[in-house]
Amino acid sequence: MNIELTAQQKGLQQEVREYMKTVMTPELLEELKIPEFKEGGGPEFRKQYARMGADGWIGLSWSKELGGKELSHIEQYIFTDEVVRSGFAYPFLTTESTTPVIAANANAEVREEVVGGVKQGKVVIAIGYSEPNAGTDLASLTTKAVRDGDDWIINGQKMWTSLANYADYVWLAARTDPDATKKHKGLTMFLVPTNIEGFSLTPVHTLGVRTNATYYSDVRLPDKYRVGEVNAGWKLITGQLNIERLSLFTHGQVDSLYQGVCEWAAQTAAPKGGKLIEQPWVQHNLATVKSGLEVVKLICWKQVWAMDQGPLNMADASVAKVYSSEFFVELYRLLLEVMGQAGTIAADSPGAVLRGRIEFRWRVGAVLTFGGGANEVQRDIIAMAGLWMPRTR
Amino acid sequence: MNFTISEEQQSAQQLAQQILSDFTDVDKLKVIEQQQENFDTGLWQALAKAGLLGLDIAEDQGGIGLGFYSLTTLCEEVGRTVAPVPVVPVLVSAAGTLRRFASNTQQDQWLPGIASGTTLISAALEEYNNDDPTTPSCSAQKMEGGYSISGTKICVSQAPSAARILLSAQTDEGILVALVDPRAAGVTLNAQTVTTGETRHELVMAKVQVPAEDIVATGSEALAAMDWAHLATRTALAAMAVGLCDKMMRITGQYTSEREQFGRPIATFQAVSHRVADCYIDVECLRLVTQQAASLMNEGHPARDAVQIAKIWCGNVTHRVSQASQHCHGGTGVDRDYPLFRYCQWARQIELTSGSSAQLTGELGQTICAEYLSKAG
Ligand SMILES: Cc1cc2nc3c(=O)[nH]c(=O)nc-3n(C[C@H](O)[C@H](O)[C@H](O)COP(=O)(O)OP(=O)(O)OC[C@H]3O[C@@H](n4cnc5c(N)ncnc54)[C@H](O)[C@@H]3O)c2cc1C
Repeated sequence: MNIELTAQQKGLQQEVREYMKTVMTPELLEELKIPEFKEGGGPEFRKQYARMGADGWIGLSWSKELGGKELSHIEQYIFTDEVVRSGFAYPFLTTESTTPVIAANANAEVREEVVGGVKQGKVVIAIGYSEPNAGTDLASLTTKAVRDGDDWIINGQKMWTSLANYADYVWLAARTDPDATKKHKGLTMFLVPTNIEGFSLTPVHTLGVRTNATYYSDVRLPDKYRVGEVNAGWKLITGQLNIERLSLFTHGQVDSLYQGVCEWAAQTAAPKGGKLIEQPWVQHNLATVKSGLEVVKLICWKQVWAMDQGPLNMADASVAKVYSSEFFVELYRLLLEVMGQAGTIAADSPGAVLRGRIEFRWRVGAVLTFGGGANEVQRDIIAMAGLWMPRTR
Repeated sequence: MNFTISEEQQSAQQLAQQILSDFTDVDKLKVIEQQQENFDTGLWQALAKAGLLGLDIAEDQGGIGLGFYSLTTLCEEVGRTVAPVPVVPVLVSAAGTLRRFASNTQQDQWLPGIASGTTLISAALEEYNNDDPTTPSCSAQKMEGGYSISGTKICVSQAPSAARILLSAQTDEGILVALVDPRAAGVTLNAQTVTTGETRHELVMAKVQVPAEDIVATGSEALAAMDWAHLATRTALAAMAVGLCDKMMRITGQYTSEREQFGRPIATFQAVSHRVADCYIDVECLRLVTQQAASLMNEGHPARDAVQIAKIWCGNVTHRVSQASQHCHGGTGVDRDYPLFRYCQWARQIELTSGSSAQLTGELGQTICAEYLSKAG
């Protein structure tokens, strides 16, 4: 039992931290202020993403065969943690969760086109699972793909297709067997190029980020863009979702907010003298945040360490998701409380604290508890897989 | 980074599990609870025979020297079985401190007897409204051949039967750590019934003369010793809470899976199963922060923040898991013929021992404040 990073791991952490400082150029920071480019996709973002590819930073966890470095999960986590901490809109879901699945299952030509493109930092993939009537109960999705010669004809609507406005492909789940005995058995995965005829989108503006509704109207898609066997899509979806969670809840991103607020409170005068950080209630909030943050760090480390030993325990993965998503939301509040009214001042307005980052993070925070598998479902899994309790109804 | 323990440590933990569960069926526990001391001496001897009292005692002193981490896993198993054995005061607070801070002569005098189960040394770290043994209000006056100690310690475990009680007192030149003989002139022991149901003692000292050979440390060494004892005790309590809460949650998972109302197991109500799932999350969080604190202590690395955080979680999780377990059991949970109540009593005891979550959160906040004020210049 030794729960500390090794010297080599700390070295990697430092190396990535330094490198990411060169990625977050002043031009990129300016570009991130433009609402359209807040989640990436602007020219400077594209430039830096491609630079990361050229410098060999993309796909570190992939197999050597794919041009990766086969980093351990721990090292991969250290990389992810630092990249998220830097604030770069790195498309993790593209690089870490969809691309390995595509690499393992796509036909050779498409693999070259897509996986090769991601490796060079030229390709971004959006995820098209959710629909207006298929959210938590994802397997009930109805977007349809029908075989027609060498092609598939796709019709339907997806909801919340984030990044589709600048992505090169949509990783699309479609129903190919409407009569399957179990609804998750009739699904197949496709890669839909976003410049294909019949594809369109409209923006959806949320409390925080911009996302999209995407429409598929008689899209004629060559069979080479099918990934995996027909009607065998569910396994690919769940495999991807499990990896997805690991890049959503990292320690560095929230630890940097905590540190930022501590620094701010140590410099800011309290109304009746002294610094804000000397107020007992401020100390209480900061200590509560620190105690909770420690667990975020340990949960992440334990998960990646466990993944290097073998398959991840289901209950543990759900514990990580529920704890982190609920703690993130709590942390935003505890830190905003310290800032008080100043906590409501949005980025780019005079007086914004920490460039309004926490004000913004609160806006996206709510998604965490229902996205990526609603926390109720995760708790069901914990009760069943962790405690052998019967299925709820 | 490594989250597993060595094979040796694993077999020690398994051995502990086996012995402890053999000795803690409900009937045995009930018999022990009828006795004044609430201490299962038969079990203590069995642990001694298996070498488990000497996990953190060096081999040349009769122990097996597996280290502090291993000792915390014994504490975890004691929590899991609510076994009536004073592992934390005797093995952690007292023996652990002696091993690291006492003279060779003192170690030779006491540690072999602790490891073999023939001698009990207890510890008295707490005073009224003061859980910090580095700032005692008990006082000590230098005298011919030793010190004279006065003042009061509270909730002392095994006070009448202990050969000595390890404690600290304030002198004109910093604190000292002493081994006080509870039979010495000037010592009064007043029985205190605590939440677990045990009898502990208020230890009142009026000019108790402690000979030089029983002074463990003075000055900065004494400060370091009490600092270690404080952190180690908190860590061990958190470890005990891991076992305790893990078991409470499992009892509750099983009970709700079997108990039927409205024609179905109550666990099939999401509101019920989710409350138990929340206990599972809490226990995992407590386990992680405790493992971190114990491993840092084991390595001798700075552990103050990690220990404080572990004890904060310990207080919160013992409370939450205990209340959720009682709630999901309905009346059965509070019935003394059902095992849960013992766990709940211990949960509250541990929560309030060696610093509550509220207090420690306040202290951690002060540490953060000092850290960032000094950075801000
Ligand atoms: C900003 C944003 C970005 C997104 N990006 C993407 C994306 O890129 N690609 C994509 O495919 N999807 C994306 N999503 C969709 C996201 O995955 C869904 O919102 C999520 O799966 C929940 O589905 P829903 O919104 O339909 O809520 P619902 O499924 O209607 O759930 C609402 C609530 O019902 C309760 N509930 C549901 N099922 C149960 C149950 N079994 N037991 C108990 N309670 C239950 C829970 O409280 C849940 O929070 C995004 C969503 C948002 C808001």
